Amino acid sequence: MMNNTSAHAVKERPVTTLDQKPSRAEGRKDPWSQLLEKVGKHQDRQAYHALFEHFGPQIKYYAMANGMSSHAEELVQEVFVSIWRRSCLYDWRKAAASTWIFTIARNQRIDMLRKMKRTSAEIQVETEDLWQIPGDNEDEPVTSLHRLMSERRVRDSLRHLPEEQITVIAKVYMEQKSHQMVADELDIPLGTVKSRVRLALNKLKVILQDQNV
Amino acid sequence: MTRHHPDSLMLMEYSAGNLSEPHALCIRLHLDKCAHCRSRVDALDSLGAVMMEQQSQVSVSESTFDSILARIDSEPAPQPTPRTPPRSPLSKLLGDDLDGLPWKRQLRDVSVLDITDRFPGQKDQVILQKLCAGGKAPAHTHRGEETTLVLQGAFSDNRGVFNQWDFVVLGQEDEHKPVALEGDDCITLSVLSAPLKLTGTFGRLLNPFIR
Repeated sequence: MMNNTSAHAVKERPVTTLDQKPSRAEGRKDPWSQLLEKVGKHQDRQAYHALFEHFGPQIKYYAMANGMSSHAEELVQEVFVSIWRRSCLYDWRKAAASTWIFTIARNQRIDMLRKMKRTSAEIQVETEDLWQIPGDNEDEPVTSLHRLMSERRVRDSLRHLPEEQITVIAKVYMEQKSHQMVADELDIPLGTVKSRVRLALNKLKVILQDQNV
Repeated sequence: MTRHHPDSLMLMEYSAGNLSEPHALCIRLHLDKCAHCRSRVDALDSLGAVMMEQQSQVSVSESTFDSILARIDSEPAPQPTPRTPPRSPLSKLLGDDLDGLPWKRQLRDVSVLDITDRFPGQKDQVILQKLCAGGKAPAHTHRGEETTLVLQGAFSDNRGVFNQWDFVVLGQEDEHKPVALEGDDCITLSVLSAPLKLTGTFGRLLNPFIR
């Protein structure tokens, strides 16, 4: 599923023309983040629609991959309504649009599942008190550079990972499988799953040192 | 100064949204105080975004977008409101006075409060433990995995000193005998995947951790 890189190369460039030339300060802002900012600042519906066309299918697939097929379009709706409501809080210096939207999709998925299983009276801890959206924490200093770099770095280095490592990561992120469940499904020891993840994260440079902090 | 952190695999399960609610709470509370782990989670969230973008051969109908527009039109335009400082999830859950909770004293130095019922529909046991300043807990191993976050004070064991907001996961093989540092009562939030097992002669009946 990872070998369609040429298709991605095309997809990464939004079709929407950007009517403003990015300023120096915005040099690192990717096109999706610029669109999201337009939604936040001006309730720009054209920009909102462009985001829908790009991220809508991703979110639908995300729902389908983790067994919520019958609620996939519903999840897309919930995520986009949430994007609209929260867009005024979006700060491109704190997260790329795609990362921010991923965390909203993850939280809405969790929230939907929690509400299906329980009455609201039973839910004592809000989903967003458990899983945070980047930038929601006001105390957080803006430490933008490495965050913006990280997504680019992840995307670039993912291409060089062996398939077996990508498979494990995909199951964790897309199918909501714990490392143990991945081990059971692939019929390999838990230790093997963990070492594949560690190798991948090391190569993705996602890991800062676990020790010596 | 926080010195003990969740490992990358656990942060990945957090970022993917796969952890149980009590485990996610432990991570979230740690993240609130640990810029280092926050930046690791940011990077992992980016990985999630890239994974999500890898596969999207599905299409979403325009009528879905129409429904979305209908919904946002039916509510007032979003406005950047001056935000009040967010209340910590811990205060929301337990209030601001940890010492004033209805602790159950189990041993001279140890009090316990079971808050599992705050997390309905999941299997982990969630307990707060209080070790009075300078106090000792009996030696014990763990039948399953125990995830602990220090909420107040500090304790030490054979691994070192665990300060406020430090994070530690103990497995079956780990025996420890925590001692609270002088000065402040040590309060921890623990998520137990199975009941603990006592190793000391002292404990079988008195063990505060076994239910």
